[in-house]
Amino acid sequence: MLTNNAAGRGTSRLSPILTLLLPWALVYAVFFLFPFVFSFVLAFLKYNPLNVQNTTWVGLENFARLFQDERFVRALRNTLVFVVGTVPMTTAAALGLAVLLRGRVPGKSILKAGFFLPSIISMVVISLVFKLFYSPSGGLNNALSLIGLGGHGWLTDPATALGAIMIMDVWAAVGYYAIIFDAAFAGIPREMYEAAHLEGAGFKDTLRYVTIPMLRPVIAFVLVINTIRSFQIFIEVFVMTQGGPLGATDTLVLYLYEAAFRGLDYGYASAIAYVVFILSGIFSILVVRRFRPQFGSGGVA
Amino acid sequence: MNCTLVLSVLALTAVLLAAGGCGSSEERDGTIRFWQFWDISVVEPIVREFEAQNPGIKVEVEQLTWQSGLEKIQAAIASGTQPDLCELGSTWVPRFSYEGVLEDVTAVHSEVADSFLMWDSGLWRGRVYALPWVQGSRVLFYNEDLFVRAGLDPADPPETWDELLAAARKIHALSDDISGFGLNLGERYVLYKKFMAFAWGNGGGILDASGNVVFDSGENLEALEFYQVLSRYSLREKQEVLDHNFKSGLLGMQISGAWNLRNYAEEAPGLNYRVALVPRPSKQAGTHASFAGAEMLVVFANSKNKDDALRLARHLHQYNQAKALCLEVKSVFPAAVGAIDDPAFAGDEKVRVFVEQSLTCQTAPAHPGWIEMEDIINRSIEEVLYGKADPREALSEAADALRVVVKRFE
Repeated sequence: MLTNNAAGRGTSRLSPILTLLLPWALVYAVFFLFPFVFSFVLAFLKYNPLNVQNTTWVGLENFARLFQDERFVRALRNTLVFVVGTVPMTTAAALGLAVLLRGRVPGKSILKAGFFLPSIISMVVISLVFKLFYSPSGGLNNALSLIGLGGHGWLTDPATALGAIMIMDVWAAVGYYAIIFDAAFAGIPREMYEAAHLEGAGFKDTLRYVTIPMLRPVIAFVLVINTIRSFQIFIEVFVMTQGGPLGATDTLVLYLYEAAFRGLDYGYASAIAYVVFILSGIFSILVVRRFRPQFGSGGVA
Repeated sequence: MNCTLVLSVLALTAVLLAAGGCGSSEERDGTIRFWQFWDISVVEPIVREFEAQNPGIKVEVEQLTWQSGLEKIQAAIASGTQPDLCELGSTWVPRFSYEGVLEDVTAVHSEVADSFLMWDSGLWRGRVYALPWVQGSRVLFYNEDLFVRAGLDPADPPETWDELLAAARKIHALSDDISGFGLNLGERYVLYKKFMAFAWGNGGGILDASGNVVFDSGENLEALEFYQVLSRYSLREKQEVLDHNFKSGLLGMQISGAWNLRNYAEEAPGLNYRVALVPRPSKQAGTHASFAGAEMLVVFANSKNKDDALRLARHLHQYNQAKALCLEVKSVFPAAVGAIDDPAFAGDEKVRVFVEQSLTCQTAPAHPGWIEMEDIINRSIEEVLYGKADPREALSEAADALRVVVKRFE
């Protein structure tokens, strides 16, 4: 009787919570959990949406195919170059920008808003603008022509296309992370700076022994978010180069998109999707390990 | 109070789910579900006219977007919620025919074959699975002012490869920022449309009549070698850049489609340009071939309203109905023959060229592996234009890769 009562009270307290969570949980289940599990299963199937009756279990065949597939290897290489090239750049630049913003800069809030602006503009719009900017008669070449250069098709030259997209991406992302760092700075107790100052620490020492160690969790957060986002690079290449020229900007997600919706090979596309998932997982774990907060260790990694 | 809370949350959930795109697909007798890509206001009147002529039949028209329409069609087929009648681009039809999801319309073809162009993409293994609706040919655009400056006669556009090359060379020499010809590069889905115009004109092709790969033919090699020479007097860039330069009067010639007639009029009203048939190899040999994209109408095999859907398809693709659509959208022309004798099209000097060009146009080969084949072909052309391969080796490598694709669909 007593137990029943307790359980009954427990349920009545629980049910409003569950009910309130229900809409979110349902949407999450339908639009995230289900596709996540479904695409995992798909990765082991030969699945063609126009012919679902003939779906067959192929085991690990989709994964085995990957490494004999020239285009996959190329896409993997380009994606890794993109991640390794942009993530440290973006993070360092964002940190630098945030440090500068701590100083006495006139019109600081306008600057902050300006840096943040690219992250509220659709990536499609940014990509379209840069597509023109990089064209032979575009803004970049016009500027270069002032010093006697210019006329280069940055996106049609296989040697420069990926780099051009990477630079655009750093530009577009840096403001957002700078604002995150800026907010994190505000969380560092002033006393620590005062103490460092009393100890005679200069700007460099303060940065090295106070700011960076205190920012470690935020740096880890920024690196993880940015790594995951960078592995998923799609819109930029889809709008600007469609993977060209000569495959120089082929990326994993672009390839999985084409394998699924153009090649109708949903199983293979899902296998690629899980490669992206596993790679971003591994990179994220490495980053988190490296930047785990290390209180009491003297701040030296 | 608790009850109200639960109810309101459930209601909210229902709204969210409905908003999430779980559209209902209840079957109603006498209702045809028709998916297509044109602005709904353009297609509605033609559909209402059909309803008036066929009492008892109701048509629900839905507009798909070019960005995600194909994905939506795929998802609908996978889940069995496809419409009765659907518009499909000509490059997509063969795969759908091959998978067996389309209704066989060979009987209609036997009846009216001669009254329409662009049947090819609907053919697979001797049967017909799609009705041609509208089509868009690609022609040669040229800048009159640049022709005059280069000492060429704008009233006498290049008719042969030699004349095209000579014109491109003269215009290219005018100044550093002016280019003779516009050649697509660095983008995935366009290259073959421009190159194949020359290959087809020279009697070349991708597959022969029995489906064998002939991409490494001597005719294609000649065309690719010519294209390579032409590229020396060309701006080698993406379509947007070519269009931008053409509008700015910095590009002498390019091959493109009828949407430019509207775009140039709006965006570059002062531009003096004309259009002409794509040049042929020589006065004695070859044809003025070019690429055309066709929009096809397909009835899905598992539709419960096949007869009505087919009746609607046949209404839509008739000359007068297709004409009404084309005059509104101004970027395509009826697949039904007749435009060449119709002042509504032939009365305009430029539009007439497009209509005339479509008589010698080809669509992409009707093969279910086309999407993969397209990538192979584009890459081989690109390799030659970037100097990574010589034409003969590029064509033979591509042909080998194409044979692998063809074999997979046997």
